[in-house]
Formats: sequence, C-alpha cells, structure tokens
Amino acid sequence: MNPLIQRGFRERLRPKNLLASGIFSLIVTTTLYLSCFFDGMQIVIPAQDPPSGVAELAFNPVNGAREAFTALLILQGFFVMFLGTGRVASVTAEEKESGLLDYQRMTPMPPLSKIFGYLFGLPAREYFFFLVTLPFLFHCVIVGKLPFWNILHLYAVFFCSVLLYHLTAHVIGLVVPKPRAASWVARLAVLGLYIFLPILGQAGVSFLSFLTLLPTYFGKILPHLLAEGTDKLGRFEGQAVQFWQEVPFFNLTLSPTTFTFVMQGLIILSLFLASYRKWRLDSLPAFSKPMGIILFATLQFLLLGSLWPFFTDGQASGLLGRMIQLDPAQVGLPNQLKSDSHPAIAMVIVQSTFFLLSLAAILILINIVCPNPHRRLKGLQRIQRIGLPSIPWLADEAPGALFATLLAFLTILTYTTLHLLAVSSESILSISSSPSSILFPASFLLFCTLSLRAAREQWFNLGFWGFLGLLWLTPILACLVLAINDFLGNSQLMLYVSSLSPVTFIPQLLIHHSPHLIDEANPLVDLSASIQFGMAASFVCFILLTYNLWKSSSK
Amino acid sequence: MIEVKDLTIHYGSFAAVEQLSFNVNSGSVFGLIGPNGAGKTSVLKAIATLLEPTFGEIIVQGQSVLHQPEQARSFLGYMPDFPPVYEDLKVWEFCDLFAQAYGLRGENRKIKVLESLHATGLNSQMDSLCKTLSRGMRQRALLAKTLVHGPSVLLLDEPAANLDPKSRIDLRNIIQSLAKEGKTVLLSSHILSEIEDTCDTLGFMRNGKMVQSGTLEEIDQARKRKKIITIGLPSPFPNLQEIISSIPCLSVFETTDPMAKEIKVCFDGDEREAARVLNKLVQAGVPVSAFVMNKTRVEDLFLELESQPEGKE
Repeated sequence: MNPLIQRGFRERLRPKNLLASGIFSLIVTTTLYLSCFFDGMQIVIPAQDPPSGVAELAFNPVNGAREAFTALLILQGFFVMFLGTGRVASVTAEEKESGLLDYQRMTPMPPLSKIFGYLFGLPAREYFFFLVTLPFLFHCVIVGKLPFWNILHLYAVFFCSVLLYHLTAHVIGLVVPKPRAASWVARLAVLGLYIFLPILGQAGVSFLSFLTLLPTYFGKILPHLLAEGTDKLGRFEGQAVQFWQEVPFFNLTLSPTTFTFVMQGLIILSLFLASYRKWRLDSLPAFSKPMGIILFATLQFLLLGSLWPFFTDGQASGLLGRMIQLDPAQVGLPNQLKSDSHPAIAMVIVQSTFFLLSLAAILILINIVCPNPHRRLKGLQRIQRIGLPSIPWLADEAPGALFATLLAFLTILTYTTLHLLAVSSESILSISSSPSSILFPASFLLFCTLSLRAAREQWFNLGFWGFLGLLWLTPILACLVLAINDFLGNSQLMLYVSSLSPVTFIPQLLIHHSPHLIDEANPLVDLSASIQFGMAASFVCFILLTYNLWKSSSK
Repeated sequence: MIEVKDLTIHYGSFAAVEQLSFNVNSGSVFGLIGPNGAGKTSVLKAIATLLEPTFGEIIVQGQSVLHQPEQARSFLGYMPDFPPVYEDLKVWEFCDLFAQAYGLRGENRKIKVLESLHATGLNSQMDSLCKTLSRGMRQRALLAKTLVHGPSVLLLDEPAANLDPKSRIDLRNIIQSLAKEGKTVLLSSHILSEIEDTCDTLGFMRNGKMVQSGTLEEIDQARKRKKIITIGLPSPFPNLQEIISSIPCLSVFETTDPMAKEIKVCFDGDEREAARVLNKLVQAGVPVSAFVMNKTRVEDLFLELESQPEGKE
C-alpha cells in the first residue's frame, strides 16, 4: 500500500475517529435522505367529488427514492468535493510551510506515487463519510428503479470530478505559501473553474460546460428522476436535459460523458504535470515553456471546435441559441441598436467570450511561465558563469518574449480561422469582411500579451498584480461611478476610460467592427475615437513596459 | 563522500553562498560554523536536493545532486533545524512511514524502525502521538526518521538546538558511532562546544564564503597560531620569567606579574618538545604543580575569525 495513503488512514481513521465520523455521517445522511424520501413519497389524490369530498394521501416509495437521489448526490459532493478539497489544499500548504513536504520530496518514491498518496490519503475521512452514504444510494437505486448503467456513468464522472478538484487543490497547496489562504484559494478556484466557468457554456463555448458533473447528471440521470406516471420534465429541466444531450464539436456530435472524460482528463493531465514539477523541485515554475504552449494550443483547439458550428451556420445551444431565435420585438434594445441585431449581438458575445477567455489563459500562463526578476537574474548569473552568450530560449529562466508572442499568435490564428469561416458562410451576415476587423483585435491582443509579459518579468507579485488591478479593473470602476453620476452626459468619457482596460475594450472593438449593430446615421457616441485612443494606449503601454524591462535587464 | 565544487546560491541579487568548495570524506564528521545568515542552511539544503543552486556541482557518493537528484536522495538523510512532525501519527508510525517511503519492506522494515527508535532513545515512547512530544523529543523523532533507511550521508542542521545536556551527549555519541560505521556526516551548529566535541573537520563560513576549513590543527598551522601552555605553581617563583626566556621555544604570553601562581606561555613545538620543556623547568627548580598544553578552542577561533575584517582571513 502507498505509505502516504496508509498515513492518511492512520492519522484520521483510528477507531475513535472512525466511530465519531461514522455517527456524524450517518446522522446527517439519514436526516437528509429520509426527509427527502418521505416528502417525495407522498402523493395527494384529489377528492373524487369536490368540494365535499376529502383528498386522499397515497405513498409511492419509487417517487420518494427518486426525489432523495439529488439531495444524496449533493451531500456526497459536499463531503468529498467541498470538505475533501479544502483538506487537500490546506494540508499540502501546511506541510509545505512547515518543511514536512521536503521530507517526502527527499524520499526516492516516484513523484506520481507521492501525488496519489496525497490525493487519496489526505481526504481519507471524507471518503469514509462518502462510504457511509452508500447504503442509502443502493436503496435509492433499487427502490427508485434507476437505470444501473446510467448511475455507473454518473459516479464514474463523479470520481473523475473529485480527482480533478483534489488535484487542483493539491497544486494550489503546492503553489500558495500560506495554508489558510491555500484552503480558501482552492475552494474558490474549484468554484470558479468548475461552477462559474461552465456557465460560459451557455455563451457558445460549450466545452466549458463539461468540466463538471452537471452534463452527465442532466443528460443521463434527470430524465429518470421523474415521478412515476409523469413523462414531461419542467421547463428548466427540459431545457437543461436538451442542452446536455449532445456536444457539438466541429462538425461532430459527441456524447456528454465521453466529452466530460476527455475535458477533465486533459485538465487532470496538465495538473499532474504541474504537481510533478513542483514535487521534483519546489522552485521550478509549475509549467515549462513547451508545456505552456501545448496547453494553450489545446485550449485554442477546444475553443475552435466548440465555436465551429456557430461560425459556420450561426447555430448555438444554451442561452445564446435561444437568444438568436427570439423575436427581436420581445427584447428591449438600446435605441442606437438596430432592431434586427440579435445575430450581431450574439456574434459580439461569442467573440468577446473567446478573446477574454484566451486573455485570461494568457495571463495565467505568463504569470506561471515567464520568469520573475529573481529567476531572470539567476539565468543571467548562470550563463555568465558557464560562458554562454544567452539563456537557452526553452529554459525556465529565459525571457518570455517568444513564448508570449506564440500565445498571442495562436489566439490570433484561431480568431482569424473563425472569422474567415463566418465571412465565407452564407448563414452569417453579421460579420465584417474588412481586414481591420482582424487586424485591430489581433494587434491589440499582441500588445496586451507583450505588456503582460514585460510587467511579469520586471516586477514581483505585488507590482505585477497591482499593475493589473490598476489597468484592468480601475477603469471599469471609474466607468461605474461616471455612469451613476450621469450616464448620457458621460457616455463618451466612459468609452475613453473603459478603452484602457482590455476587459471592456475588447467588446468595444468588436461592436465597432460589427456591421449590423450600430446605426451609423445616428451615432450617440464616437466609438472610433475611443477605439483609436484604446489602441494607442495599449501600444504606449507595451512600449513603455518593454523599454523599462530592457533597461533593467541591461543593468 | 560529499564533494562541493564552486557552489553559488543566489536569492535574487543577494548571494547567499558564493563559490564554496569543500569535501567531506566517508567516516568524517564535518562541522559548518558561522554566524546567522552565513549560508550554512542554504548549503545543507542544496546538498539535500531541496534548493536549486545558481551554479556549481555537488556530488554525493558519486552521484550528481543536480543532475541525478533521485539517485542521490537514496543516500541522503536530512534533518532540518526545526522539528516538524506528523502530529497525529504515533512515533513508530512516523518512522515507519519513511521506512516504507525509502523502500524498506517486511521484517527488515520493522527491525530498522525499532533500531532507529532504540538508537535515539525513543523506544519507550514509540506508541505516543507525535503531538504529545516535547521539542527535544520531536528532535529525536526526527533523527530516528533520518536514520531509519540507513543513509550513508547525513546532513544535520542544528541537530542539538532543542536538546537537553543528556540528549546532547547521546546525540554526540550517536553521530560519532555513525561516523565510525563509515557514514559521512555534515552538520551545522551554533553550539560551538558541540561542534568541538563532535566534529573532526571544521568549516568556518561568513557571508556565503568558506573562510577557513580543515582539522583544528590544520587551521592552527594555516593561521600560524601558537600553542599555549599553562604552568601552575604552588607559590610564586620570582625567577620563572628568566628561566622561560632562556628556553628557545617558549615566550611569556599573558602574565608578567612575578608573584603570579599561574603563568601562560606561548609554545612552538610538538608534544615531545613540551615534555622536554617540563623537564627543563623541573631541573631548573621550578615547583611545577600543573603543566597543561591548551588545545585551540573552536570558540577562540570563531571569535578571532569573526573579529577580522572581511578578506583578511
């Protein structure tokens, strides 16, 4: 047995702990399960001759079990996903801080065994909580007559998700130095990555939906949880089931479970690689430059595949799909927007989502991969001693200019492909064929990426994140104040201010280049002036930061 | 054996260790001494594969620590300067965890765990939870864990920092017996008497550089330090200074008071020469009640090196 898993059992599952944990889990599960079971079991049979007749109460255990299933699944998720994730992150960070992790790092066990040991050993008690819920699950499946094969599917994805969450927590624990911070950063990261990010699936980026258990739950289980005698799902449930029945990817249609496994598998693989590097040597960045490029290329491929159907025939699933199909008259649009602008708005939403998502990934990768001033200096000191003319460009200490340019290039390539696809499509009219509609976003992204890289390499964490906060968030907050003060009076000023932040400038840029969105005959604001201002600001920022970096490097 | 060549460790622009080179032979106990911030812990961590040096080479038992860290780790036993332990494990479970992690199996594992607990005097507390141990006991548990896989190279950072006098003596005996078994021991300490009693070779570090290294005798010779002999008298002997100045290898060191009952003299020679000096003094009628050839104290050397301006060592 893996010694680290055995350690988890010894530490947290001694007979005394086992008894206490068992009783706790049993009480919580019994209360929740039986409450839902009895509630769902009751069926009110209306009186046969109202109003004098008396309604009768009938009991159907099948319905009770089906009603209790979702609650049980949530409780199981709470035990292993929420509590387990916090445990893995906080203990990893605690041991890193105290030096215990170094003891393990020094043992000749392969890093993979150490990672598995931490993933399955630390949350041993949480797994035991889960184990206690299993008899209830069996009762649910047998009494509720739930299809065994679908349940198996669901729990396979459940454990894949658990592994993903715990691995995320472990990597965060290895990276974040403070134990308490690590525990909460991990929980927030799990919420952000696997709960909020999947919502973007509704905006056309369908692959993001498959980071969670939800597609399998809605696609495979929910239709079987209907009460006996009912064959129609509620409005929301029906839409959810329809949304997650199949996954459009390029011109293919994939099963949600398969796609979930592929998506989660890719993330698990990259997290394994990151923790492998951190286990080998704490001072190594989580990703090397080639790994960063491969990961980013994979993300772009997934984005391309997910957005392909939308850019070829304008079709999309989820909220975006429903928005395209809506009658324009039913939706209140700003006066300046044309009434037939739904597909154009959808296009701006999808393009903005694509750019912002890519930019977020670029930011994370630059933060991890590009060397901070210390690492850069170490590289320079080494080449000086060895007598090399320059740092090999794939080394962790090497400047990240080429790396950042490659990231920007991959994003531009994907965007150009999608754009040209839309231009050549007969179903999509809401796209501009002018070269500036590619050139402007591409140049902005390049300046923005290179500015990020220059900032990362010349400042430490405080400077880097402070710079980002100032440049990316402050303009948005300033716009908020201006909008509250006088929305119409300040609208041009708001455009100028918001063009300083990429988060708000990218949608502006895309709206500007959308031919069916702005009524050019009656413009309320001068969008082209703010676009020119934003482009100039991003260029100046790039030049200043790069010059400053060059100056500090030559010292 | 440990070979450190040209080791350089930078934290940003600050050089914690600079061009450090030294060797520790098998069966030898090498003590690193230096003030806080001298770079001792950085050196130990770099040898233990836990810190990536900026430059240099570290070879442990023929394996490069930088290029083959996994192989080198199996030879290494590292004990840091503070004793973190797994609080909820019993002492024997703590050792057993590492015995397993180092690949020990079956009966051999049990024997090794018991041996290491016995060697560190923890066998009576093997069933206690680590969180119930005192700081000193935790240090012992950590040492037991370090010894459990029988490493041939031991890196001990401040091993006696939290130990009581009895435990320190025990630790010294353990380290010396390990060295006799042929293991290589590299330790750092602030407790100079501990270094003096335990180590056969010393290295003085200051500002990341090795100021002086070797055995005490070698350092004495290198620094041209004179040996001191203390001569005790039952009562003052007025002509003593004249007699001393007539012996070529002696000169008065401290006391010039003719009525003093104890006099320290500088001596240039070996032990045979010292015996001849004693004979001459007795023959001259000096009533010698004590004749002690003082060994160089690590403390003296440390203070001497510390007080010198940098670059004049």
